[in-house]
Amino acid sequence: MIDFVQNTIDGVMIGSSYGLLALGFTLIFGVMRRLNLSYGPSIMVGAYLGTLLYVQLGAAPVAVAVATVLGAALAGIYVERLCFAPMAAGAGVASMVSSFAIWMQLEQAAILILPRHTYPFPPLATGVPLALGPFLLRIDHLIMLAAALGLSLGVQLMLYRSRFGLALRAIIGNPVAAHLVGIDVKIAVLCAFAVASAIGGIAGYLVLATDQQVTPMFGMWATFKGLIAMMIGGLGSIPGAILGGLVLGVVEAHSQWHFGPQVRDLIAYLLLFACLVLRPGGILGETPARSLVDRGKA
Amino acid sequence: MDDYLISVLSHIGIISFIALSAYLLLLTGEISFGQQAFFAIGAYAAGIATAMWGWPLAAGLAWGAATGAAAAALVGVPTLRLHGLYFAIATLAFAEMVRLLFELFRYQIVVVGELVGPNGADGFRGIRYIFENDVGPLQFLLLIYGLLAATLAGFLLLDRARLGVSFRMIGEDEVLAEINGIAVTRHRILAACLAGAIAGIGGGLYAHLTTYVEPRIFDVMLGVHSLAYGLIGGLGTAFGPLLGVLIDIGLLESIRMFAGYRMIIFGGLVALLLIVCPRGLLDEIMVHRIREAWRNICQARPRMTGTRARQ
Repeated sequence: MIDFVQNTIDGVMIGSSYGLLALGFTLIFGVMRRLNLSYGPSIMVGAYLGTLLYVQLGAAPVAVAVATVLGAALAGIYVERLCFAPMAAGAGVASMVSSFAIWMQLEQAAILILPRHTYPFPPLATGVPLALGPFLLRIDHLIMLAAALGLSLGVQLMLYRSRFGLALRAIIGNPVAAHLVGIDVKIAVLCAFAVASAIGGIAGYLVLATDQQVTPMFGMWATFKGLIAMMIGGLGSIPGAILGGLVLGVVEAHSQWHFGPQVRDLIAYLLLFACLVLRPGGILGETPARSLVDRGKA
Repeated sequence: MDDYLISVLSHIGIISFIALSAYLLLLTGEISFGQQAFFAIGAYAAGIATAMWGWPLAAGLAWGAATGAAAAALVGVPTLRLHGLYFAIATLAFAEMVRLLFELFRYQIVVVGELVGPNGADGFRGIRYIFENDVGPLQFLLLIYGLLAATLAGFLLLDRARLGVSFRMIGEDEVLAEINGIAVTRHRILAACLAGAIAGIGGGLYAHLTTYVEPRIFDVMLGVHSLAYGLIGGLGTAFGPLLGVLIDIGLLESIRMFAGYRMIIFGGLVALLLIVCPRGLLDEIMVHRIREAWRNICQARPRMTGTRARQ
């Protein structure tokens, strides 16, 4: 029983980082209706920038965090300019493949700058875990959970309480109409992209500070964990992204405990597949109706 | 031909199969991130058939294609109502499941005093059919390109047949296709099976070329690459994916000048290319132009010979 609760706690904590990754992903997807495969690699560029500062100059954790988030946002802007902005409506697949090509490019660039397989990453909080009865809570995990809940609330408020959010929702509804009422669609989309990548940067920083190391596999890891959490939770839903992340984290923690890492990944993908087949809209998302109006979009 | 050239050409030929497999699904309007699963299944099935059951190569390859098609039908039916991104992610999840299952898959028997067979994450060694039967690298290369030519011929016939038109119509607009009396469900499953079989043949050839397969080879990267080949090369003709493979493996991987910077150059080139032609180099417009030009040449020739004859 104690193991079960402890595993669930660990799952929720890890899941909150998946939720954060999914949050940035779902923001991009919600606005663009297109998949940005370069999302994880953009975060990785930021993380490698932070690591470079840490390894070469011994920068403080705060500087590393700022560099990670800024680097991720800048890489996100680069991806948007190259893979999404120039593509006409109806070229969604081209955007996706183009973002995949840029994934390869960003990853190779990061490896060229820091060629070793692992690099140290400064920890966020050291010290003994908090004891809550028989259960242990790591402080950096608690920060991660708080960040996930706080940022999802922030994004929700941004979308529904600010003029920028209003503009984004107008674009989600109908880009042409949004343009006609005077919204600068290109700038708004670019900003949404940068914000989403920055959120990814925060998620990436928290994950790496917990792991205390960074490897070239991080970009792929971030893209796929974010993608799975987003799809399970429901495409384009902010609470769904966090919920999907938590569900994925808890399921992974339990299956890891019982069956080991290989079966853990197998179960995670099985969950995703079953979710898509049985409930394609995810837990909280709307079911994708293929109405006559929707045809030929994206 | 020297060994290096043969090995590069063999590689290009084999990867073309999985690129064609992804291309076939693109024709019906579906993006698959998971064709590497059928490639893997074909590789394992064909390897098991020749190395463990003592089947001849042709039967092994056919078995690989059949298992690839069967697996594609298995995944095609539950994903029928999924489209676009949902379908892409479902195929990705399926392919990763297949890869992880192969990491757990152990099935070994003793063949000629040696333990042969898939051994989980350690892979499947000793698929030595082409060495035991004295098939030279050049002969195997001819076999690869023979099968590839047959597949391409199939694609060219498809473009002229009702089936190909139906596929493209479904890809263009599913509802319109349904209204025009095309059995969409049946066609989509058929396309998935054909694509699975093509990937399966490629996998079987791959297993016999390298004599060794391991689950790690069949990761998402392979799948996304095979999808990208079609889009880079062009969706207008089956030569498109081949052109994509040729550009990636033939030009960039083989010319070692770019070592270390290959992905930076290639990634940037692909992104720029897709801005200029979002449906690839050999898109429908280009194919149409080439066809027109060809027709003009063909029509011009008899007139010229006619004038010459008069002179």
